[in-house]
Amino acid sequence: MIQEPRVGVFICHCGHNIAAKVDVKQVADYAKTLPNVIVSHHYVFMCSTVGQELIREEIKKHNLNRVVVAACSPSMHEPTFRTAIESAGLNKYLLEMANIREHCSWAHSDKEAATEKAKDLVRMAVAKASLLEPLEEEEFPVSPTVLVLGGGVAGMRAAIDLAEWGFNVYLVEKNPTLGGRAALTGWLTNNRRGADVVNNLINKIVDNKNIHVFTNAELVEFSGFPGNFKAKIKVNPRFVNEKCILCGECEIECPIEVSNEYQYGLSRRKAIFFPFKAAYPPIYVIDQRVCIKCGECVKACQYGAINLAEQSLTLDLNVGAIVIATGYDPYHPPKGEYAYGLHNNIITLFQLERLLDEDGPTQGKLIIGGAVPKRIAFILCVGSRNTTPSSKNYCSRMCCTSTLINAIKIKEKYPDIDVYVLYQDINTYGNDETLYEQAGEKLVKFIKFEKPPTVDISPEGIVIDVYETTIQEEISIPVDALVLSVGMVPRRDQNELIATTRASCGEDGFIREVHLKLNPVEAPTHGIFLAGAVTGPKNIIESIRAGSAAASKVATLLSEGKVRTEPFTANVNEERCSGCRICVGLCPYKAISLREINDRMVAYVERALCMGCGTCSAACPSGAMQQYGFKDIQIMAQVVAATGGGIK
Amino acid sequence: MNNRPKVAFYWCASCGGCEEAVVDLAEKIIDVVSLVDIVFWPVAMDYKLSDVEALPDNSITVSFINGGIRLSEHEKVVRLLRQKSKLVVAYGACACWGGIPGLANQYSREEILERVYLTTPTTANPEKIMPPQDGYAKLGDVKIEVPTFLPELKPLDEVIDVDYYIPGCPPTPEVTWNAINVLLSGKLPDKGTVIGASNRSLCDECPLNKTKPENVLIKEFKRVVNYSPRADTCLLAQGLPCLGPVTRGGCGALCVKANMPCTGCFGPLENIHDYGGKALSFLASILDYENEEEIKREISKLPDVSGLIYKYTLPKSLLKNLLRSVRK
Repeated sequence: MIQEPRVGVFICHCGHNIAAKVDVKQVADYAKTLPNVIVSHHYVFMCSTVGQELIREEIKKHNLNRVVVAACSPSMHEPTFRTAIESAGLNKYLLEMANIREHCSWAHSDKEAATEKAKDLVRMAVAKASLLEPLEEEEFPVSPTVLVLGGGVAGMRAAIDLAEWGFNVYLVEKNPTLGGRAALTGWLTNNRRGADVVNNLINKIVDNKNIHVFTNAELVEFSGFPGNFKAKIKVNPRFVNEKCILCGECEIECPIEVSNEYQYGLSRRKAIFFPFKAAYPPIYVIDQRVCIKCGECVKACQYGAINLAEQSLTLDLNVGAIVIATGYDPYHPPKGEYAYGLHNNIITLFQLERLLDEDGPTQGKLIIGGAVPKRIAFILCVGSRNTTPSSKNYCSRMCCTSTLINAIKIKEKYPDIDVYVLYQDINTYGNDETLYEQAGEKLVKFIKFEKPPTVDISPEGIVIDVYETTIQEEISIPVDALVLSVGMVPRRDQNELIATTRASCGEDGFIREVHLKLNPVEAPTHGIFLAGAVTGPKNIIESIRAGSAAASKVATLLSEGKVRTEPFTANVNEERCSGCRICVGLCPYKAISLREINDRMVAYVERALCMGCGTCSAACPSGAMQQYGFKDIQIMAQVVAATGGGIK
Repeated sequence: MNNRPKVAFYWCASCGGCEEAVVDLAEKIIDVVSLVDIVFWPVAMDYKLSDVEALPDNSITVSFINGGIRLSEHEKVVRLLRQKSKLVVAYGACACWGGIPGLANQYSREEILERVYLTTPTTANPEKIMPPQDGYAKLGDVKIEVPTFLPELKPLDEVIDVDYYIPGCPPTPEVTWNAINVLLSGKLPDKGTVIGASNRSLCDECPLNKTKPENVLIKEFKRVVNYSPRADTCLLAQGLPCLGPVTRGGCGALCVKANMPCTGCFGPLENIHDYGGKALSFLASILDYENEEEIKREISKLPDVSGLIYKYTLPKSLLKNLLRSVRK
């Protein structure tokens, strides 16, 4: 049973952060008058070594069995104070924090009122602390295997880092090749291409025995808990095996021709095809969505590499963690936005990158609509920064830099082409700022707008009308070709991924990290990590960094060989539970099921899966489901204390 | 006089169903009567209040009181019974939490009197005669004392100390018999306990619970006025707002067995602070919509949501202070 509560209250000044707006001495004196409070102190920095020592000494001196620290947000220093009371011999969950900084001193300017509010918060914390129970964390062994979803630069980087640490990595890519969108990116800075970066990463993967690559594969089921997830992978048939030597005879015979997504529709490919020069694995693939199984390719293949009867197979993996690095889609302008889709010479930045790439459909020649344009314009922020009705409100980060790299490339190759860049702002942040200067030196013409330009198609060609805000004049620019510098949007198939993995997305539609500063690259479900543009627009460098960051977070989780779970899980009072099933469907983590006990069906919580969100406890109609650390009686005690006993 | 335990029954603001429920013990009533001395039971036996007043304090073993406290007379009699009784049992939903008459707490005393005495469609009161509120009525030249109508209905334990609670509207004979056995057993449970009923919600004893899917989700609420439920499937899963999950069991799922959804007359389980809040929370959570507006839309299609979720417990709800301030 709960011992007679003996509460110690420790009020922190946080330098002037709290003490300037809250009369800490008055709050400490007030705390002494509260029920069960044995001792109360205030100190300049409770989190300092001296402050912690004060807490430890008082626990021993007064035989305290509950501690209230009124200081900053628990997400800041709760672990600090838990450790402090634990080292004084108390269970570390016998601590309750009152946030009198973020919730009080930082939010208010009236010292008297802020002091009263601090007293309220302390009174509530004391009321709850008196009912706290010692809690134990649970330990589970972990599987030293990691599933990386997505074979783009972020996923490949994460896989390589993890494999180098010695973890077993399953790298699962939905498309028939590794590389992702970076492989199609074309020119980067320093005369390197996206394909070069990708090749470099692929070479490292090929050499590493710890990485198992599955292309044409997808995650179809996902369950379990951190350290012990179960993942079902469906590997779709490729119909071509490793006997393939890339001779290309099959492709010649194939009667089916479709738009080539690996050139963003600028060229066509066959149903049997090889995605791009550096694709991995180096094996042809049949697109089963369009193949009619005529068998011409089988006849053409001298190596017996093609088997049209190949079936899909499923893999059941037990993995300790998962890294989601499934990337993004380019923004696709609706027909008519800046006349997109109304003229063949209006293309996207992604298409231009293919044209300027030596592995592209024109071997690097800028041929648009059959000819090299004499005048070409870029419009920036297409799909980003609320420029048009269908635009997103965020900045896509990479389009300014990429636009200028390609504008400079055009000027280098074709100095006579007039290049215009129509922009709202140029965000070539960091070292890429030099690109802006270089572009100027190369006489790229910058046109600044506030109101998005209008694009008209006339018999003579494409005409852009824009109000130039620096010269404050309406100008009209006839061009032969127009490039829309489109941004990045969440993948179209992202909802399936969310449904399978229980990840969640933020307001921008990208998959959400728990906290950008406190928990970067972590999904709300422990054990799921996020890398690359799946969490929002990123350039290649940032995506690779995020891959490394996710890998190190995974390593932190798995390297100990066991995971410890926070004890704030839901718990069923089996005697009380009537098996009404309301909780089962509500659990966002699928942690609740029914099981039979003494001939009765009752709810069962898989503790390792429970994230302590409280949904089930709040919904439980009979009060049988209670969450450790947040039991109804504990919360009600706080509410009653807050209302001065007005609610009972 | 003998040493048999003395028992009293009294009714306050109630429909009389609880009295019927005692009689519904059928032959067992004879067992009860042979075990105890009934010292006060206005509805069935001719004892006067003065007989109770004449009894020594604490001489009644147990008083069973049904109905909520709505009249000054109720207050007076239950205080007297408390004084004379070792144990007081709140018998039935109205005494426990206010019951259906408690729904009137949504309105002020004046609004209620005006409605009842003047404006209902069946009222003919051309002289606009209203009950006196000063405690006296004139009968010719005689001034007689009459009860006054209190500002709100209170559950029994807000007026006197209550030892045990027997839930139900009315309590079933089984529940009543169980409770009597508990009281006569000599091993009394902790004060404040609900006796005679189950400690789990109704689903536990409902024959249809096993037909409920693991994931109970519905798109819309149905009502028995325009939908005939199938007898072989959980009513909640069929879309009826059955309050079984949030209601204390013990009745044997009588309503569900008659194809009617549970309306919650056995009230909440222990430590549930607000029955209606819990009911609304679970009803809203099984609506299969992501969007809060859609959930609101479906909930608002239910006529009289407060009547649904607080049918028996409004005077005990967390809203009681709010209602008091609104009535002022």
